[in-house]
Amino acid sequence: MPSPKHAMPVSARPSSPAGGDDVILEIRDLKQYFPIRTGLLQRVTGHVKAVDGVDFQLQSQEALGLVGESGCGKTTAGRTILRLYDATDGEIWYTCPDGEKVDLAQLSDKEMKPYRRELRMIFQDPFSSLNPRLTVMDIIGEPLVIHKVARGKEMTERVAELMEEVGLNPNYMGRYPHEFSGGQRQRIGLARTLSLNPRVIIADEPVSALDVSVQAQVLNLLEELTDRLGLTLIFIAHDLSVVEHVCDRIAVMYLGQIVEIDNADALLRRPAHPYTEALVSAVPAADPDIRMQRIILEGDVPNPANPPSGCVFHPRCRYAEDICKEERPALEDLGEGHLCRCHFAKELGLQGIA
Amino acid sequence: MSAVAPAASPESALTTVFDAHGPAHHSSETYVQLVWRRFRRNQVSIVGGLMILILAVLAIFSDFFSPTDPSRIDMKSTFTPPQRVRFVDENGQFSFQPFTYTQTYSYDPDTFEPVWLDVPDEKYRVQFLVKGYEYKILGFIPWDRHLYGVEEGGTVYILGTDKLGRDLFGRICQAGRISLALSLFAAFISILVGSVLGVVSGYYGGWLDGLLQRFVEVVQSIPALPLWMALASVVPITWDPFLIFVIMASIFALTIWTVLAREVRGKVLSFRETDFILAAKEMGASDPRVIFRHLYPHTLSHVIVVLTLQIPQIILAEAFLSFLGLGIQEPLISWGYLMRDSNSLETLGVNPWILAPAAFIVIAVLGFNFLGDGLRDAADPYAIA
Repeated sequence: MPSPKHAMPVSARPSSPAGGDDVILEIRDLKQYFPIRTGLLQRVTGHVKAVDGVDFQLQSQEALGLVGESGCGKTTAGRTILRLYDATDGEIWYTCPDGEKVDLAQLSDKEMKPYRRELRMIFQDPFSSLNPRLTVMDIIGEPLVIHKVARGKEMTERVAELMEEVGLNPNYMGRYPHEFSGGQRQRIGLARTLSLNPRVIIADEPVSALDVSVQAQVLNLLEELTDRLGLTLIFIAHDLSVVEHVCDRIAVMYLGQIVEIDNADALLRRPAHPYTEALVSAVPAADPDIRMQRIILEGDVPNPANPPSGCVFHPRCRYAEDICKEERPALEDLGEGHLCRCHFAKELGLQGIA
Repeated sequence: MSAVAPAASPESALTTVFDAHGPAHHSSETYVQLVWRRFRRNQVSIVGGLMILILAVLAIFSDFFSPTDPSRIDMKSTFTPPQRVRFVDENGQFSFQPFTYTQTYSYDPDTFEPVWLDVPDEKYRVQFLVKGYEYKILGFIPWDRHLYGVEEGGTVYILGTDKLGRDLFGRICQAGRISLALSLFAAFISILVGSVLGVVSGYYGGWLDGLLQRFVEVVQSIPALPLWMALASVVPITWDPFLIFVIMASIFALTIWTVLAREVRGKVLSFRETDFILAAKEMGASDPRVIFRHLYPHTLSHVIVVLTLQIPQIILAEAFLSFLGLGIQEPLISWGYLMRDSNSLETLGVNPWILAPAAFIVIAVLGFNFLGDGLRDAADPYAIA
C-alpha cells in the first residue's frame, strides 16, 4: 500500500514542538467550546467548555488511557483530535512516518483526508456506529473505497483478511450488522478501523456498551492487535480497572482539563491529585482482604458552561483551601513524567491501591 | 435478533468464530427481498398493488383492450348504453360462445327519452384476439390484434359510448395513461425537489435551514386549488400536448413537494448525529458520499410512503381540474376530462354510464392508499434491529 503524501503545506507552524524523538502526537492547549444559543435569533449567550486546555504528549506505540466521569470532555477531546469537531483553539502536532510534524488543527477538511488513514477511531456504541443498511463487507471495505486503496475482488480479499484478524468468520461478510451480537459488532468496528493500517487509534470507550463477559475478549483482542501491529492507542474510558489493564500511561480528566498524568501503575499506587485518589478508591480490589477507604465525592460535576473559579475541582475537594478558590493551578511536573494539576500535589500523601 | 453463529457459545477472543453447521458462504437477503417479505404479509396492500397493476396494464396496452378505435367518431351510436355480452339468446338457448345484439333506439312516447332495444336478428359473436384497427404497442411495435371484439358489422361497447359515439371503455383505458403518468410524473418532480431541499436543509442546517423552512411555510400557506386553477388556465392549449403534460405535472408538484421536504429534513436531522454518520466522516467520506450512502437511504421509507399518499391526491386534483375544463385538453384525455360530458344533469340522468371513469379514479385512489399502507410497514425492514 502506498504511503500518503505529506508534502501538504502547513500554514501556521509557530515553533517545532519539543519533546522526545518518539513523540507521535502532541496536543497543546486544546480547547473545544460549544456555543449555547438561545432565543428567537439564536444569539450565542455562552459556551460549554467541553475541552478547556488539554496538553499531553503521546509516545509512539504507547497506550494512553484517558479517564474521567461522564461529561468531563474525554470523548469530545478524542473527536477534536481527529478533527470530527473543529477545535476552538490549540494545536494537534502529528509526526508523520517520515518525521515531519503537522498541526492537524490547521488543516482544511481536504488536507486532513490523507491523515485520516493514519489516525483512526473506534466508536463506543457498536449498535449505532454501523450503518444498518450496509453489509459487513461494505462497512469494513468502506475506508478502502473512500481512500481508493482497493476495489472489487481485491477489496473482498482484504475484508476477509481483516475479519479473520479480528476473529470473525469471513463467510459472514454478506450479512447485515443486526445479525451479529454486540461483541461481534465491535469486532466489525475494529476491523473497519484497522482496514487502512493506521498508526494511531483513538478508542472511545470501546467496551463500555458491551456485556461484561464479552468486554475482556474485545479488550484482549485490542491489546493483542495494538502490540502486533505496533499501534499507538488513546484509550478513552470511565472505568479505571479497564484502562489499567490496557494502558501504559493514564491521564485523568476533570471538567475539560487533564488533572493528572502518570504511568498506569504509579498513578494507581501514588495518586497526587485528590480527584484521582477518589477514582482510585472506587476500583474494586481483587483481594477480599484488602479494605480500602472509599472516598465518596460530594455533589455533582459542575456545569462546564460555568466552571468554578480557581481549581475547578475545589467545590468537591476534601483538601481544598482558600488558594484553591482563587488560583487556577498549573499542570506541574512532579518528576518522571508525573504531571499533576494541584496546589498541594507534593504535600498531600494520598491513598492509592495497595 | 436473529440467531447467528454461536451467539450463545463462548466466543474466543483470539480464534476465529466459525459456525460449524453453516454452509460455506452466507449471504443475507437483499433490501428488496426483505421489503418484499414484509410487504407480502399485508394482504390489503397486495390487493392495492394488484389494482394499480391492472389499471397500469389497461392504460399501457389500451389499444389492445379496445375493440374499436377509441378516437373514431360514430354519430350513429352516440350515448349507447353498455352492451350486454350474452350467453343465452332470446329463445332461452345457451351457447358457450358469448355474443352481443345490435342495439337500436326509439323514443319513449311520453318522456321522449331514448329507449334502447336489442335487435334479436342481429346477433354477433364475441371473439378473442381478433383482428381490428392497427396500432403500435408501446408506440413502436405495429399490431392489429385486440383482446376481444365481435364479428364484422357488430359492436361491443361494454361500458357504452360517449356523445360522439366513441367506445367509453377504450377511452377510459387510454385516459388512464395521462391520469396515471401525470400523477407519477408530478410525484417524481415532488420527490426530486423535496428530497434535495430536505437534505440540504437538514444536513447543512443553520441559516440555510431557517431560510428553506420559512420558504416551505410560505408555499404551504398558499391555497393550492386556486393556484392550480389559475396556473392551469393560463397554459395555452395551442402548445404541444407533451409540453402541456409536463407543465400540468409541474403545477401539481409546485405545492406538494413541501410535505416531502419536511419529512426528509426531519429524518436527515435525526440521523445526522448518529454514530455511523460520524464514523463515515471519520473515515474521510465526502459530503455527497455521506448523504447518498448513509443518510438518504434512511429517508427512503418515508419518501415511498409520502409518494403513495401524494399520487392519489394528484389524481383527484387532476380529475377535478380537467372536469372543470382547466386541466388536460384534447387530444390528450384523462379520466377527469372524460367526465366533462356529465356536467349537465340532463345528460347524466339519461346516460348514467358516462360516469364510469369515476369508478376508475376510485380504484386508482384506493389502490395507491392500500399500497402505501403496506409499504409504510415494509419499507424499513431494518427497524427491528
